[in-house]
Amino acid sequence: MSALFELRDVTMRFGGLTALNRFSMQVEAGSIHALIGPNGAGKSTVFNCVSRFCMPQRGEIFFDSRPLLAEPAHRIVQLGIARTFQNIEQLHRMTVLETVLVGLTSRTPRYFSFAPGATRARAERRAVEEAEEILSQTALIGFRDTLAGELDFGRQKLLDLARALASRPRLLLLDEPAAGLRNREISFVDSILVNLARERGITIVLVEHVMQLVMSVADRVTVLSFGEKLAEGAPSAIRADSKVVEAYLGSEAAHA
Amino acid sequence: MYGAPPPKQLAALGLLVLAGFVLPHALPDYFLYIGNLLMMYAVLALGLDILLGWTGQFAFAHIAFYGFGIYATALLNMRLGIPFVLGMPIAAAVAALIGLLIALPATRLRTVYLALATYAFAECAQWVFRTWDSVTRGPDGLRMSAPQIFGYMVGNDRDAMPVIAIILAVMLGATLYLVRSRLGRAFCAVRDSEHVAAASGIDVKRTKVLAFTISAFYAGVAGGVYTLFQSFVHPDGLGVWTLVLVLTMIVVGGSGTIGGVLLGVLLLGVLPEALRAAPRGLLVWQEFAYGLILILAIMFMPRGLWGLVIYRLRRKARRGPPPQAVPVPALEREP
Amino acid sequence: MSLVLQGVASGVVTGCVYALVALSLVIVYKATDVVNFAGGELVMIGAYLGLLLLLWFQLPYIAMFALVPVAVFAVGALFDRITLRKVGGRALAKHVDLVSFVVATIGLSYLLKGAVRVVPFTEEVRRLPPLFSGPPVFIGDVVLQRQDLAIIAVTTMIMLALWLFFERTLLGKALRATSQNARAAALVGVPVSAMRMAVWGLASAIAGIAGVLLAPKLLMTPDMGAVVMLAFAAAIIGGFSSLPGCVVGGIALGVIQNLVGIFISPQAIAVTPFFVIMLVLLFRPEGLFGESLALKKV
Repeated sequence: MSALFELRDVTMRFGGLTALNRFSMQVEAGSIHALIGPNGAGKSTVFNCVSRFCMPQRGEIFFDSRPLLAEPAHRIVQLGIARTFQNIEQLHRMTVLETVLVGLTSRTPRYFSFAPGATRARAERRAVEEAEEILSQTALIGFRDTLAGELDFGRQKLLDLARALASRPRLLLLDEPAAGLRNREISFVDSILVNLARERGITIVLVEHVMQLVMSVADRVTVLSFGEKLAEGAPSAIRADSKVVEAYLGSEAAHA
Repeated sequence: MYGAPPPKQLAALGLLVLAGFVLPHALPDYFLYIGNLLMMYAVLALGLDILLGWTGQFAFAHIAFYGFGIYATALLNMRLGIPFVLGMPIAAAVAALIGLLIALPATRLRTVYLALATYAFAECAQWVFRTWDSVTRGPDGLRMSAPQIFGYMVGNDRDAMPVIAIILAVMLGATLYLVRSRLGRAFCAVRDSEHVAAASGIDVKRTKVLAFTISAFYAGVAGGVYTLFQSFVHPDGLGVWTLVLVLTMIVVGGSGTIGGVLLGVLLLGVLPEALRAAPRGLLVWQEFAYGLILILAIMFMPRGLWGLVIYRLRRKARRGPPPQAVPVPALEREP
Repeated sequence: MSLVLQGVASGVVTGCVYALVALSLVIVYKATDVVNFAGGELVMIGAYLGLLLLLWFQLPYIAMFALVPVAVFAVGALFDRITLRKVGGRALAKHVDLVSFVVATIGLSYLLKGAVRVVPFTEEVRRLPPLFSGPPVFIGDVVLQRQDLAIIAVTTMIMLALWLFFERTLLGKALRATSQNARAAALVGVPVSAMRMAVWGLASAIAGIAGVLLAPKLLMTPDMGAVVMLAFAAAIIGGFSSLPGCVVGGIALGVIQNLVGIFISPQAIAVTPFFVIMLVLLFRPEGLFGESLALKKV
């Protein structure tokens, strides 16, 4: 068993509110691991701790057996962890291509500040080529010069994913990639995720409310409730778990 | 922005320098003065826009760095005999250094707090200019001696114009490269979302500090330019009013765009001169006019005049209806 | 010693006025996320309106005191309705753009200042007649003008009224709800945009009253709006989000200013508020009563 990514005993409190209470989880390399739970269960907090936007009061986070909590926020992506955002948090005044170029930051050489010269020209050319390739893969190339804020909702989510992919991550944290999407778009996301995990070997942690997507792509599911781990296992086992059905799936299942 | 600046834009810089050498032989003194003034405002506004329009940091300290630039260049020349070609870069570097020192604590602050802290700094700097009699001559103002460039005395607007045109061309060129670089994109990313920027590997704090430093450098250069065609500096000119003027230029022209800033400088830089030429009855309306222009601009041209121009051009190019803004559904937030 | 006591006492008096203006700024900031750089000009407008009503229309003091807040209320409410709703309506669709709002209020400040300056009546420097004239009052060694006592009394009354308003009345509670979470307030049926207008009006009215109180103590010029920086300093000391913080911050600033004048140099009084702002933001950005500053949640 090879855990690429591990949370050990993480506790995160915001004032009086405990968002995560001694939460642990292991993610195997190459797997798609879904993290589900009712609203406010602390799923996004897990991501925010990994992104170093907040500092857990206790516990540790390891990636490739390297402690993450000692790293500053901007180093995380260089280590190979990219993430997307739940609410459309966009570079709304930058174009689609520029957004992906921002995603490429960790892999663009720091040519001497910004002075003209051959190094700079080469680096810029290569970055643009690579960004265009990523846009082709995510079917966004037709919107190359559109402002990110002017894209429709589904494409904004796709652009967020494209930006994250640009860093060539080994671990991808996806925060509700299917929320608010239509069925056709959800199956597109589904196929992209499976392709990323199976063909390119990217490990994926997925926070999602859309059960249809979770049940179809996840290898393993962890259920969070009020900051604590409620259950963990294969999707079929989770679906059968009475605790989970009671706490969370009950209402969802009734809708489905 | 990415790649290299288009050749057309670089050619325009060449034209600017050419104009700087030709116009002094063609225009009367008063127009040369206005030209120099506009070019100085251009350097000042481009610098403020790096912080405000590109990096989205609402900071007011710019006017203080401009003041440092003026006094340092002038005093280095007058007290130590350091010539302009050396004195101005030193002054600008000092302004940038102070900008860096201010940025280190200031970048911990956001929004109102940043605006107020930097505003307070600008007021303190103005107070120092006003009270440090032995150096700045305080409220009497400082009469500056004419700077020399390689033995060539810059005594009036005619002499100054080619030099100022070269300086503006260099600063504009640097800006063109800057906004099309990795650093320039990092500025924009920090402006639009600090979270996305950090998650993409951008060191947000370092980026902000760099923006502060670079912006202060521009202000220092603009201060140096001031000493080339003005002979007198008074602390009163280094207060909020000048800052609001530059801010208005950026907002009316279009913040975060080089073309917009230049357009704003052109329009609003000429306005006070036009009002000054008008009878006294009109001059009192100056403040009222600026207030009205600011309010109307922010209400009806959120991207400035430049935004309107670009929008028209794009629509023409597409020859179709304008892009429909797709309403973004509000997402439920986790508490 | 008596000099220091006197300084403290008159510092408390001017501090009360700073506190009022600071309250006006903070109420607006809490409810609408706008930093009102025109707050000082609303004070100035209040003072000039008072002068106009007293000298031109020969109204009694009481009538002036009732009319000025109403008029300044209208200025603030209209500014929100006409300008900010347009700027904010657009901003809300994408993101709240602080720069646009601040630029709009800077525009308002110059508009008001310019409007007063073009009236020929204001060219001459004037002074508003005080509310109470008569011999000063002695408390031990400390001398206070009757006007000073009136300032303290009026300020206290306004604070009490505000407290009662926010705690006890339905409208006040609705305003508080709006300022805490506009979306949730809208969901439970609070008319949010009307509330925003009311907040702008209320805050402006407070600034107008502060103008009437302040004007007899200094020479009136269209530039007297500069007092806003003292109010900003007071609000920053208090944490910029707490109403009691404004009161403590205002009084503290008034006293500090006078002590700086006595112990350091009268020249340094002018920079005191700016120094205070920088020091507080450097060492305790959340102020004495404020919540800690954090990036909003992702």
